[in-house]
Amino acid sequence: MNSLGVLMKKEYSQVLRDFKVIWLPLVFVFLGATQPIMTYYLPVILEVLGGTQGISIDPTMIEQTGGQVLAATLGSQFDQLGIMIIVIAMMGLIQSDKSSGMLAFILTRPVTVSSYIGGKLVFNYLLVSVSVGIGYFISLLYIHFLFTSVELSQLIGALLCYLVWVLFSVSFITMLSAVLNSQALIAIVGIITLLICRMLVGLHPMLDAVNPAGMSQHAMNLLISGSIGANLSINLLVTIIWVLLTVIITHYWILQKKFHES
Amino acid sequence: MQLHYGVDELKAIDWMAILPIILPFMAVGFILILIALIDLYRNRKTRKNIFIWTLLILLCNIIGPVLYFVIGRKDGRTY
Repeated sequence: MNSLGVLMKKEYSQVLRDFKVIWLPLVFVFLGATQPIMTYYLPVILEVLGGTQGISIDPTMIEQTGGQVLAATLGSQFDQLGIMIIVIAMMGLIQSDKSSGMLAFILTRPVTVSSYIGGKLVFNYLLVSVSVGIGYFISLLYIHFLFTSVELSQLIGALLCYLVWVLFSVSFITMLSAVLNSQALIAIVGIITLLICRMLVGLHPMLDAVNPAGMSQHAMNLLISGSIGANLSINLLVTIIWVLLTVIITHYWILQKKFHES
Repeated sequence: MQLHYGVDELKAIDWMAILPIILPFMAVGFILILIALIDLYRNRKTRKNIFIWTLLILLCNIIGPVLYFVIGRKDGRTY
């Protein structure tokens, strides 16, 4: 049996033991459902709790299309709390193996570093993207009931764009997990860097092109306006280069570590 | 002066219309808390700071159970 398959199976049993396979989708379902419900009930909440004198709410201002709400789900739920959850879930990816001596043990076996990283990355990316997909779908279900429906092609296109940004997040945290030794440090550096990436989006077109979080912006644009942004292909390419770079750094770092120990 | 946030004003909301929409949403959060608490209870002998974890799980809406799953379950492991 090839070693990638074995390592992915190991990863699966690890994830099962951590309950990650249960709670990660649940969290994203929760996040996905939050935005449509909040948006839908905002007028009611304001009306009942806000008092009636002084302010008046123009009902046409609050009415949003399904695409806008779905974009808001991506932008204000998945990109903030969602990113934090992904970082927290993935921060021990290589670090826990390092601290328990498992990494050194695995590397004494006839297993290449690349298949070790590959198994980790592929399995965990699949887990996260399935979770994000389920959350997205639940959000869509609510939007379908409470708002207008969204066109299928935009829907899938936006999800694919968004998953590229998720891929960058996961590989970036894997790199941090290999390089740094403390979980708290990994979490703080990961969350801050990814949130800063997300905040920098929209400042300047040049910056957007090299920013992996630009993919998230493209997904939102696709949902709001229905058209693909101008430099989607450049951004996609740059993001894939970023992902490869993080994977190469992880690979290099683990190889170096092995050299020092032997 | 009348306070705007009166408890009796909650009755003004049409609860029956809201319930079917908001119930699955609350159920998801509840399941998450429940799984975390059950795991904490079953491993109460090996865990440290059980009281703090219970408070954290119950009070911090979604981060609490997640933090428990990621960090809180570490100290019971032996390998």
